Amino acid sequence: MHIRTVQNDFVGEVTGIDICKPLTGDDVAAIERGMDEHAVLTFPDQPLTDEQQVAFTENFGELEITLAGQMAKPEERRFQQLVLGDISNFNGADTTRLRARDDKRRMYALANRLWHSDASFRAVGAGYTLLHARIVPGKGADTQFADMRAAYDALSEAAKNEAENLICEHSIVFSREQIGFGDYNPGHEEHLKPVPHRLVITHPKTGRKSLYLSSHIGGIVGWPIPEARAFIRDLTEHATQPQFVYSHKWRVGDMVMWDNRTVMHRATRFDDLKEVRDLRRTSLKGVGLAVKQAIAAE
Amino acid sequence: MPELRKLHDVFVAEVGGIDLTRPTCSNDIAFVEAAIAEYAVLVFRDQRITDEQQLAFSRSFGDLEETRGTGISKPGEQRLHPAFADVSNLDTDNTVLARDNRRRLYSLGNMLWHSDSSFKPIPATYSLLSGRVVVERGGETEFADMRAAHDALDAETKAEIADLVCEHSLIYSRETLGFGDLTDTERATMRPARQVLTRTHPVSLRKSIYLASHIGKINGWPVPEARAFIRDLTEHATQPQFVYRHQWRPFDLVMWDNRCTMHRARRFDSTQVRDMRRTTVAGIAPTVSRESLAAE
Repeated sequence: MHIRTVQNDFVGEVTGIDICKPLTGDDVAAIERGMDEHAVLTFPDQPLTDEQQVAFTENFGELEITLAGQMAKPEERRFQQLVLGDISNFNGADTTRLRARDDKRRMYALANRLWHSDASFRAVGAGYTLLHARIVPGKGADTQFADMRAAYDALSEAAKNEAENLICEHSIVFSREQIGFGDYNPGHEEHLKPVPHRLVITHPKTGRKSLYLSSHIGGIVGWPIPEARAFIRDLTEHATQPQFVYSHKWRVGDMVMWDNRTVMHRATRFDDLKEVRDLRRTSLKGVGLAVKQAIAAE
Repeated sequence: MPELRKLHDVFVAEVGGIDLTRPTCSNDIAFVEAAIAEYAVLVFRDQRITDEQQLAFSRSFGDLEETRGTGISKPGEQRLHPAFADVSNLDTDNTVLARDNRRRLYSLGNMLWHSDSSFKPIPATYSLLSGRVVVERGGETEFADMRAAHDALDAETKAEIADLVCEHSLIYSRETLGFGDLTDTERATMRPARQVLTRTHPVSLRKSIYLASHIGKINGWPVPEARAFIRDLTEHATQPQFVYRHQWRPFDLVMWDNRCTMHRARRFDSTQVRDMRRTTVAGIAPTVSRESLAAE
């Protein structure tokens, strides 16, 4: 197995390993080391099946179910297995049709074009997310990643001090509000409630600090809301400057894995009413986020 | 004789040789009009003007907008003449507004990229902002050149936005920052206005992207798709190569053309006094033609 650096200590490309097959303990350890040294790893030319993607993901921890799947009605879902996230523009299980322009699932998913960290609206956040490309459109639809460790390091001392002990409130409602979406199926009030996270988190393995930013943030504990939002926007702008960003151009068979504790990401536009894009997502429950400290600080 | 010094690669010039504390002659006004048509943002340094002098200079370019009845200030709550937008952080008794003061939280919307009065059916042409008391750190105003941003779009995007019409309202920009506790009366005065997304400047004849954080909808588009698209366009249009950051010195007067620029305020220590006074020159026509309004 070899990791070639694609972008400084942020993105690495992994070759010389077949992740469709069961991994040895050494392989898993090597990939985890690679994840700690970088924050995003790409694995080109891996023709994974759904089962193989789930099996590969299980090497690194406990799988998380996707909120979109969890909140959808069964007939709106493409996969009944909730650990498998449907990142496509198909009309649910009917893969002969694309989602219509005003389809509710399409509206919800458009918020993925805002910079976010997956599942930061959950009390434990997310660890790794793994995204595998099955069908990619001819143009657009890159996924962009921003390095929240480098963004933290580049803050002035005064800004680091200001951010250090702040607690942010995250909810799926806040990111969707920003694009004018609020049409949730009833019965999911629990999933919409804000959860607190520290703004500055320390990676449990590397000890590096990073900004835990996400479009799911709607407030800062103790701050007036408009002031909090303006501040978070400024920080997000800082943290997503070109020098911190990697754009991934997808090829069929690419598997990209990133650490949500140190990376924000977003989707970019493509002609989704005409072209097919089919990616599968698996993700891990967050571990090591200092959520307990966050709650203690309240 | 007035003179110009370029301050940025694509726009912005400093104007020297004009004293705004004295009556200006028609040659000077013609000079300024020609300069702003080219540079979009003009900086006049060391202009120790009074409110009356600012009004007189501003009126050289057209009728002024009255700010009453647009935002959330009620009669009697205003510190300045009704033709001024009070861009200070001061109350009527000249004390600094408290952190949770409603007017302060409302005014934080100025930290989002916008074009003044784009929420009015007939939007503004020029704004003139005089820095009477400026803060030492932060509080800069940033400007973005929407003509250069338009020029830099690919042909496909230019074609896509050529005929789009957007809905602008103060409600949308305030909602973005979570300021939503508006009264029914306020909401009624903030009824959305329609504006074209691609404008052509009447003097320079250059095209520009008419963007503002006040945009909440694109006619005929689902709202989330419109918002995501407007965010992408705004990000494109406010890249560093299109942006000038104005670091305020006391008694700077900055004049900009809202038809082809966006601007925003930057953060500062809100316990410090910042007293900025804006006059705004009214436009003369809607951006959307009568025919297209009638067709809806």
